[in-house]
Amino acid sequence: MNSNQEIVSLKNVVKNYGSGQVAIKALQGIDLKIYKGDFSVMMGPSGCGKSTLLNIIGGLDRVTSGSVIFNGKDFNLLTNKELSLIRRNEIGFVFQNYNLLSVLTAYENAEYVLMLQNIPISQRKEKVMNLFKEMGLEGLENRLPRELSGGQQQRVAIARAVVSNPLLVLADEITANVDSKTAQSLLTLMEKLNKTNNTTFLFSTHDPIVKNFARKVILLKDGLIDKEEQASKNI
Amino acid sequence: MSAKLLLLIIKISWLSLWRNKRRTFISLFSIIIGTGIPIFFVCIAWGFYAGLIDDVARLMSGHITYEHKDYRNSPSNDLWVGDTIKINNTLTNNDNILFTKQIVNLQGVAHTAKGSVGISLMGIEPKKEIAISFLPENIIEGKYLSKVDERLVVVGEKLAKNLNIAIGKKFVFTTNDINGELTEELFRVKGIFKTGSKEIDGHLIQSNIAIARKVAGLSNDEISQLGIIVKNPDEHEVLIDELQKSLAKNNGIFLSWQKIMPDVATTIRMDRTAITFFMIMLVVIVLFTMFSTILMSTLERKREFASLLAIGTQQIELKVQIFFETIFFGLIGCPLGALVGVGVAKWTEGYDMLNVVGGKSEDMSVGGFGMDTVITPLFSAPLIMQICFFFFLAVQLLSFFPIHLISKISITDELRSA
Repeated sequence: MNSNQEIVSLKNVVKNYGSGQVAIKALQGIDLKIYKGDFSVMMGPSGCGKSTLLNIIGGLDRVTSGSVIFNGKDFNLLTNKELSLIRRNEIGFVFQNYNLLSVLTAYENAEYVLMLQNIPISQRKEKVMNLFKEMGLEGLENRLPRELSGGQQQRVAIARAVVSNPLLVLADEITANVDSKTAQSLLTLMEKLNKTNNTTFLFSTHDPIVKNFARKVILLKDGLIDKEEQASKNI
Repeated sequence: MSAKLLLLIIKISWLSLWRNKRRTFISLFSIIIGTGIPIFFVCIAWGFYAGLIDDVARLMSGHITYEHKDYRNSPSNDLWVGDTIKINNTLTNNDNILFTKQIVNLQGVAHTAKGSVGISLMGIEPKKEIAISFLPENIIEGKYLSKVDERLVVVGEKLAKNLNIAIGKKFVFTTNDINGELTEELFRVKGIFKTGSKEIDGHLIQSNIAIARKVAGLSNDEISQLGIIVKNPDEHEVLIDELQKSLAKNNGIFLSWQKIMPDVATTIRMDRTAITFFMIMLVVIVLFTMFSTILMSTLERKREFASLLAIGTQQIELKVQIFFETIFFGLIGCPLGALVGVGVAKWTEGYDMLNVVGGKSEDMSVGGFGMDTVITPLFSAPLIMQICFFFFLAVQLLSFFPIHLISKISITDELRSA
């Protein structure tokens, strides 16, 4: 499914927290490329830098040194406002704890990014309702997050992340708070979105179930890429 | 920021309040109490002052007094003003004036078999006095004066005791007429009043103005003071300038009640200052509480803000959202606070403060005048709106720091801590 269109290119990315002797070296020189249509997984032990790398690719955090080129734009040269606009228009996020806006309904949560993008109401409704239908969220539109199960909340979070057809969807430990059956169905759903819409996904996870779905597995160790392998399933 | 985006932000601001009722209630509660308490105190205190000023003005020489320009320095019997019929007629047609009262004041001595007491005889028009002053209602023995009573007077309770006179008894009043000649008049007591003021009850007698004029040697067109009761006492200074220019004769001057009764004015000013100081302290405490509530309700949402920032909401949009939330808080909380303050003040209306503080009503006096201990709040719409607006502004200002904190949010830290 992937093309040769390079979406993300990381060159010698270093990320330190703190400074001096107490500095924590989270990433120690990462080189990585993500292509359009990728369905990749980053794995590794706790503290190996998965989430840090995901945050840097998503423009949530800045590098200490090295460069991040996203769709031709160098993050080092962008202001916070410009990074924010890239997150709004070109990147979707799915978090471990869903992080849905508690005061908005499931429908409104998914619609939120489209509203920020100034999409007309008729198009917003069509996109969200189609996606909800596809994701099995029909009938749950008017429920607040607290009225949904963990799996349903995560589906809404995925809907929010993909509804605007972003170039890249970053998913951080999305199966950590759901049971294995739900995890399976979520991943099936995302795989389907990847195949039908050619949406690029990058996961950070400990969960072997996620690995089973991946076409590329990136193994991190001590802030470095230990191994990058194509999964046999989809090759 | 486009209009559509602004509408979206306003909608989310409203939903944040509407769909998070517990948090909204806590924040609103602090704003309602914060606005309500000062409004309650102001209604009660300002009502007390307004009542006192009105009572004193109606009992004595009005909110505005027309008198001889030297009368203030030395209130002697020979300092009178003339041409008052014409002036009085003009004032009666003025829309800002409720009533006028003609007064002849004579300082003198009352004699009985028991002894002599220095007194102030106040010649008044009984019909008008009944309409204007509270003194006729405070007759505790006998009756108040009528137009036909010539040598009848009403005297204060304490004075009656000092002179050992009762209803129907006589006493001699000695004074100087306007030419400085000693003159005497025999008066009979028709009624005894009790105002609660030691000074008034111990030294004032009231007679018909006709007999007072006769004693003083004044014509029908001449009086000591012309008292003016205005519709809006707060705006009487403007009226004074207008009247001074258009009506005052060579020796006459229009003065405000503050100049006529400086003791009362000073006492009220001092009391107002003390209340204002107390209010400032109260407001500081209340604002601090409100600030803590607003700050806490922002801090507990840091994760929510971080998620919004992560998915592409810009800081300025988030700040505008919080700003609108505080506008909604202010728009709802401040008027509700005003309603609570006014409601509680209304509820206490008619309650006698002596039931709380104890003591006797005659011990309660301001500047020598008896003070009404029954709560009569003043519901001044402009004043209540000013306080409301102040708290509305305060709520907006208090939100600046929590709004500023949004720029300090580290998205990754907040999401990690989640």
